[in-house]
Amino acid sequence: MNAQPRVAVYAWLFLIIVCIWIIGHTRFEADLSAFLPRSPTPAQQILVEQLREGVVSRLILIGLEGDKTEALVDASKRLAAHLRSHRDFLFVNNGEDAAPEKDRDFLWRNRYLLSPAVNREHFSAQALRAALEDNLQMLGSPVGMLLRRVLPADPTGELLHLIEQFEGQTKPAVRDGVWFSRDGNRALLMVQTRAAGYDIDAQEQAQTAIRAAFAEASRTSSTRLVMSGPGVFSVDSRASIKNDAWRFSVLATGLISAMLLLLYRSPRVLVLGLLPVVSGALAGVAAVSLGFGSVHGITLGFGVTLIGEGVDYAIYLFTQSEPGRPPHETLERIWPTLRLGVLTSICGFAAMLFSGFPGLAQLGLFSIAGLIVAVSVTRFVLPGLMPQNFAPVGVRTLARYAIPAVGLASRLRYPMLAAVALSAAFLLFHREPLWSDNLASLSPIAQAQQVLDQQLRADLGAPDIRFLAVIHSATKEDALLASEKVAIGLKRSVEENRLKGFDAPTAILPSLDTQRARQTALPVPDALRKNLREALEGLPYRSDVFEPFIKSVTEAQNAPLLDRESLQGTGLAIKFDSLVVGRESGWMSMVPLRGVSDLDGIVRNIGQPPAAQLMVLDLKREADDLYLSYRDRALFYALLGAVGIVALLIASLRSIKRVYDVLAPLVAAVIVTIAVIVLLE
Amino acid sequence: MFFAMLTMAADTPAAGWNVEQLIQSMAAVKSAKGKFVERKQMAILNAPLETTGTLAYTAPGRLEKHTLQPKPESLILDQDRLLIENRDKKFRRTLNLQEYPLVWALVEGIRSTLAGDLRTLSRFYRLSLEGSESGWSLVLTPVEPKVRELLSEIRISGSANRITTVDVYEAGGDRSTMTVVGDAS
Repeated sequence: MNAQPRVAVYAWLFLIIVCIWIIGHTRFEADLSAFLPRSPTPAQQILVEQLREGVVSRLILIGLEGDKTEALVDASKRLAAHLRSHRDFLFVNNGEDAAPEKDRDFLWRNRYLLSPAVNREHFSAQALRAALEDNLQMLGSPVGMLLRRVLPADPTGELLHLIEQFEGQTKPAVRDGVWFSRDGNRALLMVQTRAAGYDIDAQEQAQTAIRAAFAEASRTSSTRLVMSGPGVFSVDSRASIKNDAWRFSVLATGLISAMLLLLYRSPRVLVLGLLPVVSGALAGVAAVSLGFGSVHGITLGFGVTLIGEGVDYAIYLFTQSEPGRPPHETLERIWPTLRLGVLTSICGFAAMLFSGFPGLAQLGLFSIAGLIVAVSVTRFVLPGLMPQNFAPVGVRTLARYAIPAVGLASRLRYPMLAAVALSAAFLLFHREPLWSDNLASLSPIAQAQQVLDQQLRADLGAPDIRFLAVIHSATKEDALLASEKVAIGLKRSVEENRLKGFDAPTAILPSLDTQRARQTALPVPDALRKNLREALEGLPYRSDVFEPFIKSVTEAQNAPLLDRESLQGTGLAIKFDSLVVGRESGWMSMVPLRGVSDLDGIVRNIGQPPAAQLMVLDLKREADDLYLSYRDRALFYALLGAVGIVALLIASLRSIKRVYDVLAPLVAAVIVTIAVIVLLE
Repeated sequence: MFFAMLTMAADTPAAGWNVEQLIQSMAAVKSAKGKFVERKQMAILNAPLETTGTLAYTAPGRLEKHTLQPKPESLILDQDRLLIENRDKKFRRTLNLQEYPLVWALVEGIRSTLAGDLRTLSRFYRLSLEGSESGWSLVLTPVEPKVRELLSEIRISGSANRITTVDVYEAGGDRSTMTVVGDAS
């Protein structure tokens, strides 16, 4: 071993130690949103945020099935009780208590600050009279028994006004007090996790908790648990991706090792053969860790498959070695070819580096760093470690059978040409677009799981947020004020049947301005008493019945205004926090729209709120646009990569014919492959 | 409640008159109509509330109550839904009874008696029968503790397969009496 290889071996050892040290300090993450774009438009940013941590991303839909109704009801009640006491869940609903006690209590105590019906006119003798007459009639109906309890404190029906704002959603069917599917075969629950949807580890933990709670809650063995929702999909996808990546890596490593052992019959050669690719993988992970601050699990899984060609470098060196010749001589001879191979690969992976998706960029960097290290190890380290009189015995034994077979290959020339021509003609005259624009076909989620998700969603009336009004303001108060203006336009749109309903955060917490305005609209006790006396004239109510009403109004007049702190501990706080979000640039308030039938009309009705920016988003269209722009970008960079590869080939081969010889099989392969895929679609 | 047209059980012997027999004879009635006068006494009112209107029943589960005086309002009970409609005020609301256990218990007490549906009736109430076939009173006591907090009992009185009065006693002392007059119109 002379000086130069020895230095190379030490340098390599040092590099490996550094890489391992870096990897030891690396954070590995599983956030699938790394595969969402890096520099999206404001609208896409909202979409990505919603996908990452929005309310919808935290929903898990649960079904209990396969048993008698009574058993399912029992299991549903017990499961809900278990989950309600679990800290991983913000909210658990199985229909037993549609509006939790604390929420109802908050609405009831603050009804005069919250109700949009409150204004000066609302408490005039005339308006009170009309309300009391309506109530008299209601008292006569079957719901009168419920009304009688709240009537003395709320004759103007503010609680009803408040509750009506939250209604309009499709409600699930109910059996024995718990939610059921329409056909009655499945008890339904809906839970919201504390963890954001992108935190797959936490989502997995929450799902494990649900399964454990179910195992305790279910008393019969025939009851089955099914789950769906974004978090469930993420966990399943990660598991299947992990599984696939792992399986393919193990399979490939096993096959390559077996082949190397069979051909060279030397464990030493096997180790040397794998050395470049293993070093490359370590360097790749370290490079991504340094470049991105963390490494994605998927980068790890797929990256190893991508730099698998690093094995070829060593094999190429082995096959080209001649008995009696030292390895460095062989290397000097084959180096130009090896270098060209690596450079073309780098050209290809560079397209991923610029794709704008952090996840893909990680894969690109991993592959480029990995291949450079792999080829460097082959070039500088392997010669020092190879046996001096390395003779590739194995290849010759195989050559005896392989060479005649290769000789027969020319007979396939015409069938091959025909296949390529046929494929090219098929693609040329294919009428439908070659690109599938359906995002769902990219989804790794199994068809059966998607069907289950649709069923559960339809039965539960689960929010499937597609349309969203987004308001941006400098301060929280401005954002709330603007949301109130937007809500007015939306209310009109509901009346005009352009929209079924909406969830404004200001229904839970109005702006301070509005609360103040309502407070000043409340009459002073004497005035209210006088109006009430006038209104009661000739009605059969006992005169002292409404003292609680006068007391409540007086209290509301002097009550402190509500802020986010006032919501603490209620389910409404969670809802409010999901709709009103503080950001670096100010405050964002979101109003999800339900059942949109005329988006343009709605936008016209809303107009432009003051001191705020308004966007009305169709998240599905944003997602589709995102995909299309990604596809165009990916195509552009892939094309750029291809041009780079051709330029490299021309520069090193210096012959159009030889470039053609290299590229023709590749292009033919791509044409036939695309044709087969389109045909199978 | 209200059927002059069908009185087929009228000549059954009085011996051994029990809930099953009453229920069976009620089940034989497929449709009925009538007029009602209802008086409600409530602690918050200083005079009873009186309403009048018409009732219509169609087997097995549809019950309509149309109040005409003092203000028109319709209640239509079908399966597990209760539609409340006020044409004057353009008010229309459908309650899913599963979500309103008290309202459900209240309307089911009357509907299941009319339908002769002993199974449903026993899910909501304990039953006891007083009097004879020609003048009976069926007393319904709620089973559910939550319902019992508000509703003490319903007393349905009648003769043969005709209901003549429905008394509702509330836990808080309020009560109502509905008198039904059969009308073959």
